[in-house]
Amino acid sequence: MSSSSIPSTFLKNVLNNGIGRYVCQLQRITFVFCKQKGDSRGTRDFIENKLLDFTNNNPGVAVYLQPRNNRSPKLVAEYLNGGRESIVTAKMSEDEINKWLEHLRGRSGIKIARIRKPQHTENPSVQGVWHPFTNKDSSLNKTQFPIQELSEVPHETTTTDKLLEIAKKLRETDVSMKE
Amino acid sequence: MAHNRVLQWATFARSWWIYDAYHQCPFESAKRLCIFLQGQHKPIYHPLSDIGDHVVVINTKDISMKNEYWRKWRFHHHTGYPGGYSQTSAWRLHDLDDTKILHKAVYSRLPGNLLRRRMMRRLHLFPDTEVPDDILQNVTDQIRQVQLIPKPIHKYSKEDIDNFPKLFDWPEEYVIDYSKKKKDEDTEKYF
Repeated sequence: MSSSSIPSTFLKNVLNNGIGRYVCQLQRITFVFCKQKGDSRGTRDFIENKLLDFTNNNPGVAVYLQPRNNRSPKLVAEYLNGGRESIVTAKMSEDEINKWLEHLRGRSGIKIARIRKPQHTENPSVQGVWHPFTNKDSSLNKTQFPIQELSEVPHETTTTDKLLEIAKKLRETDVSMKE
Repeated sequence: MAHNRVLQWATFARSWWIYDAYHQCPFESAKRLCIFLQGQHKPIYHPLSDIGDHVVVINTKDISMKNEYWRKWRFHHHTGYPGGYSQTSAWRLHDLDDTKILHKAVYSRLPGNLLRRRMMRRLHLFPDTEVPDDILQNVTDQIRQVQLIPKPIHKYSKEDIDNFPKLFDWPEEYVIDYSKKKKDEDTEKYF
């Protein structure tokens, strides 16, 4: 599978969540489990021992319990942005389920995808995007091309210039000596 | 931002440059022109994106070559058939088409990828200063020349020439300009 066919996104956050205030994005969590099967045992233990702690700590999250006969257990999380995530908890221990529950609670609800760049901004440039006329002299707008000044190589002092200068000085001193 | 789409147009807009090839080395000029044809002068440059600019070159008939290059620089061609090889000296090619040397110099300087022909089509060569109006009115900036234009002796004033420092004066009989040579009766009688 090539990397271009894997879904990819830019780094994003829900409404600047966590900057200034935090709103838990997890709104509803459903425990699906079987009352008698062995692979739901961890889930049943969790519900018996730890679920009340979770509900006390997170009053904003609605918790549903759905006993379903002869089905593998799972956690279904629903988020504020409409996102939905499920994790199959078959054969998981009580602690493992607790870990996954914390994972779901901390998520923003945005689907996990390959992130193209490790940084992202909504305001790409304060000074504005570059275009061919940025940092150009506005007098060029009215210039009739071609012109000599923009074409020729700027003149630098050459050795010939220096020699001519010396010769000029010598000539002057010669004249003053004769006088 | 509300006008992102328009900003994009502005960023990727092609601009037109003019370059005066008067007394310029075609190979050095090609090196500079390729930067503009490829768009390497832009901060958004990427080799795969086609963001080169148009370059209008004037006075291509007045390009200059160093040393013996007019006689000794040869352009090679092979038709692909047996015995199809030919070579032309620079002066002869220039005689046939006075934009051809610069065209070949730029073409060989550009990278040999699929964009090369497209970039060459954005190079507009003119033998003299006569450029069609619809091309000239697009030009927004000028490319600086690569070398100083030499100043010929007749452009200097008499005062400058007289004041030029000399280590010695030539003797009276030393002939600098043969057209101004005095007739010498002693040697004349032998002819």
